[in-house]
Amino acid sequence: MSSPRPPIPWPAVLRRLVVAAASLALVATLVFATFEWLADPAALRLGRGASPEAREAMRAAMGLDRSVGTRLLEHVARAITFDFGPSQARGEPAGTLMLQALGPTLAYALPGWLLGTAAAVLGGLAAARRRGVDRALSGLSMAVISTSSVIVVVLAQHVLAHRLGWFPVLGWPLAGAGASPLVYVMLPALVWALLQWGPDVRHYRAVFERELAVPHLDGLRARGVPERRALRHALRAAVGPIVARVGQRLSHVVVGSVVIEELFNIPGLGALLVAAIHEADAALVQAIAVATAAVTLAGQALCDGVVWLVDPRVRRRDVA
Amino acid sequence: MTRALGRAGRLALLGIGGFVVLALGAAVGLWAQAWDVPVGRPYMSPGTGAWLGTDALGYDLFAQAVQGARVSLVAGVGGAAGTVAVGGALGAWAGLRGGWTDRLLSGATDAFAAVPSVVALLAMALALGPGVSTVVVAIAATQWTGVFRAARAEAQRLRAADYYRAAQAMGAGTLHQIGWHLVPALRPVLLSALVVLFAHAVKVEALLAYLGASAPELPSWGKLLARSGSELARGVWWPTLAASAPLALLVLCAQVLADRSGRRSE
Repeated sequence: MSSPRPPIPWPAVLRRLVVAAASLALVATLVFATFEWLADPAALRLGRGASPEAREAMRAAMGLDRSVGTRLLEHVARAITFDFGPSQARGEPAGTLMLQALGPTLAYALPGWLLGTAAAVLGGLAAARRRGVDRALSGLSMAVISTSSVIVVVLAQHVLAHRLGWFPVLGWPLAGAGASPLVYVMLPALVWALLQWGPDVRHYRAVFERELAVPHLDGLRARGVPERRALRHALRAAVGPIVARVGQRLSHVVVGSVVIEELFNIPGLGALLVAAIHEADAALVQAIAVATAAVTLAGQALCDGVVWLVDPRVRRRDVA
Repeated sequence: MTRALGRAGRLALLGIGGFVVLALGAAVGLWAQAWDVPVGRPYMSPGTGAWLGTDALGYDLFAQAVQGARVSLVAGVGGAAGTVAVGGALGAWAGLRGGWTDRLLSGATDAFAAVPSVVALLAMALALGPGVSTVVVAIAATQWTGVFRAARAEAQRLRAADYYRAAQAMGAGTLHQIGWHLVPALRPVLLSALVVLFAHAVKVEALLAYLGASAPELPSWGKLLARSGSELARGVWWPTLAASAPLALLVLCAQVLADRSGRRSE
C-alpha cells in the first residue's frame, strides 16, 4: 500500500487534454448544427405567426444574416474559451446566469448525490452478500426505477411536506423566511438521493457480486484470512467501477433535476433550462449544453485520475 | 420462448399486451372517446358519473387515462426502435471497420454523451417544437450512445472471430456478411436494449409531456401530472392517480420483462 508515488505520465495527460478540447469543440458544433438545421432562432424568438419581414429584421439584429461558417467558428471559439455571449431573452451574459443558478442547484444536489451514493454502495454491498437483504432492496429499487421521477417528487412533496409537515413545502427560502436554509434543502436532497439510489443500487450490487466471486478471494478464504480482510480486497478492486459510476452522475448533479426544481421552486440550473425552453432562448440553451458537457468531460478526467492513483492495474497498463 | 421468462415475465408481457389492446381500441374509436368534451362539473370525485372523476375542466379522467396509453406506447416503441437503429448501425459500423473509422466514431460518441441527456432532450424539443414525433426523434437522437457501445463491443468480437474471417476470406459479399453474421451476432444485445429503452422512453415521454414538450393535442399521462402538485395540495387526488397508476404499471411491466429477457440471454 505504501508504494512510492508513481510519476505522472505527462504524454498521456497531454493527449487527454487535446482530446477533451476536441470533444468540446465537437459538442459546440453539434449544438450549433442542431439549431441551424432544425430551427431558425429568429423564428423561435418571434413565434410561429411572425411575418417574413419581421423575421428578416430579427435575423439581422441577431447577427444571423452572416455566413454559416463565420457563425460556426465564432460559436466554437466562444465555447472553448467559455465565453457564451448574452442570453437572447434576458440580455445578461449566459455565463453569469448559469453561475447564479449553479449555487441553488448544488445546494440540494450535492448533499443528495453524496447521500444517494453512500446508500447505494452500502446497499449494493449488503445485497451482494445476503439473500434476504437482496430481495428487499431489489424490490425497493425496482419500485423506484419504475416510478417516473415526476410521480416520486410530487408524492414526496405532498406526503412529507403538505400532509406530515416535516419539511417546508418549497425548497428555497423566499425573502423574509425565517428558518435556516438547511431546512429548505433537506427534502429536495432526500428526494434526489432516492431517485439516484434506485438505479445505482442495482449497479453496485452487480459490481460487488462480480468482485466477491473472483477466485483470488476464495484463495484468501481458503488460507483462513478472515472475511473482513477479504472484503477489504474486494472493496479496493471495486473502486474503479464505483468511481466511474460516480463520475457519470457528476453531470446530473450540475444540471440538477428539472422536476425537483420546478415543484420546489428552486432557482437552479434545471429551472433556468426550462425557462430558457419556454422563452425560446436558443443562445442560453446552447450555452447550458456546452457548459454542462465541459463539466462532464472534466469530471470524467478527474475520475480517471482517481482510478489511476488507486488502482495499480490501471497504472501498469498505462491507461491514463 | 415465453417459458424462459418465468411467471413474472409472462405476467409483464400480458400487462404490456393489455396496454396495447387498450391503446388500439382507443385509437380506432371503440372506447374512451369522450376525452375532449366536458362530461360534468370540474373535479367531480370518482364514482359520481365518471369512473375516475373529472379534471379541472370537467373532462372524464378515465377516458383521458386510456387515451394517454396511445402517446406513451408510440413514444416508447418509436423511441426505443429509433435509438436501437441509430446506435446499432453506428456501433456495428465502428466495431467492424476498426481503425480510424472506429476511433472517430467512438470519439464523437464520447463527446455526444458528455451533454447531459436532459439538456439534449430539451434542446431537441425546443428546436423541433412540441409533438409526438418530436418526442420520438428527441429520444432516438439523444439516447443512442449506450447502444452504440454495446453494439461496437459485439461487432469487435465478431470481427476477430474465426468463422467471420473465414467468410471474408471466401469472398462473402457485404449483404451476406450483414444478414448471415452481423445481425445474428447483434440480435441478443439489441433485443435486450430494446426492452430497456422502451421503459426508459415511456418515462422520458412523461417527463417531456410534464414540461409541455409533448403532443399538445393528445391527452397524455405526463400532461395530467403537470397539475397534480397543486391539485394534491387541495385534496384532489384522483387526477394524480389516473395518470400515475397506468404510467408506473407500464414501466414496471417493461422493466420486469427487461430483467427476465436479460437473464435469459446470459
